[in-house]
Amino acid sequence: MAKCSLCGRPAIYISRISGVALCEKHFLEYFDRKVRRTIRKYKLFKPKDHIAVAVSGGKDSLSLLHYLHKLSRRVPGWKITALLVDEGIRGYREYTVKRLEKVASELGVDYVVVRFKDELGFTLDKIVKIALERGLPYKPCTFCGVFRRYLLNKKAREIGAAVIATGHNLDDIIQTYMMNIIDNDWTKIARLGPVSGPAHHPRFVRKVKPFYEVLEKETTIYAILNGFYEGFEECPYARFGVRWTVRKMLNQLEEQYPGVKYSILQSLLTAIDMLNKLGIGEGEVETCAICGEPSAHPVCRACMLKIELGILELSPEKLAQLPPSARKMIESSLKLYERRNAQNKQTNKTSRGVDEAASF
Amino acid sequence: MVIRVRILGGPTREVGYREGMKVIDVLRSIGVMSSEYVVVKNGRIVAEDEPIEDGDELVLYPVVSGG
Ligand SMILES: [Zn+2]
Ligand SMILES: [Zn+2]
Repeated sequence: MAKCSLCGRPAIYISRISGVALCEKHFLEYFDRKVRRTIRKYKLFKPKDHIAVAVSGGKDSLSLLHYLHKLSRRVPGWKITALLVDEGIRGYREYTVKRLEKVASELGVDYVVVRFKDELGFTLDKIVKIALERGLPYKPCTFCGVFRRYLLNKKAREIGAAVIATGHNLDDIIQTYMMNIIDNDWTKIARLGPVSGPAHHPRFVRKVKPFYEVLEKETTIYAILNGFYEGFEECPYARFGVRWTVRKMLNQLEEQYPGVKYSILQSLLTAIDMLNKLGIGEGEVETCAICGEPSAHPVCRACMLKIELGILELSPEKLAQLPPSARKMIESSLKLYERRNAQNKQTNKTSRGVDEAASF
Repeated sequence: MVIRVRILGGPTREVGYREGMKVIDVLRSIGVMSSEYVVVKNGRIVAEDEPIEDGDELVLYPVVSGG
């Protein structure tokens, strides 16, 4: 039997890089040391912080909630609140909300559930349907991602949280890095640090990733040991596209050359450093002319999507009051929508024509 | 004799037992990588070089589960 390099008890994990084998107790110590080092090195938290933990209900975010809750007992100035965004995905979210309720009550941490339905008026399922009817060229994950981020920031601020912690692990981060390299999107890469921002906007809540240097396999072991791994639940909208392939490729590389994942993380940190020096990624933060939230554009993406979905209507008077840059954004998107609509009608007509011809 | 490998949320596979087999050999013979699964044997998480005995059942926990 594989034995712990430190105490000789049965090993549950072997670090492929150092070759060190660890038993359950020593794995948990190793995990704790690693995360605390990340927190210290990147100054993720302050001695007095109200931390909102973004919880999806999956194993990684519940592990983060559990971990930070435990750590908070040693940091008297911390307050932890779990924050879950319920998009309203049938057959998926009901279950994860229940799971959060159970874990939060067991740990004795406060939690807040933010619902798409309450905040936007519609569930994600409904939004996806509207988008389809209107012929909008976005995937469900676009709506989900934009509105989730928007609501997390807004709700965290409303409950008085100074920081939002997310459960992203090393694997998630380097996958996103690779995907952004493929897309040649250096602005997004510049924002992949352990602390995102740093956006100087009074309404922006800083986002931190305490599991930044922890492998996905390690967070999974932590989740299993603490009873947060209940099954393989996956968002029904998740289609494993490029990310799936990139993940596989990185795992294959790591298998052949242990340590590759850490090297890629180092490469990312170097890239971020260089990008910051070039002033990329720190771009000016604007204020959305419609909702007042921080935004990269005159109108934020959430408001733009709402307009395109037709779930946020602006009266001509309101439109006239907006600053010219914001008005231009909205008007050009509406024009695009009309043009797309006209095109769709055209194609519908021709295809119907073909059908009719075929039936004769 | 065979080793049964149950992948959570996926199929159950069977692998022929060979003398001196380890967890990593079982993973290789079903074509999965150790970075993709946490392996549990008899209710306990085990490392890749854990020896396998004839008739053992392994449960594989995928490390991917969407947050
Ligand atoms: Zn030990
Ligand atoms: Zn807005």
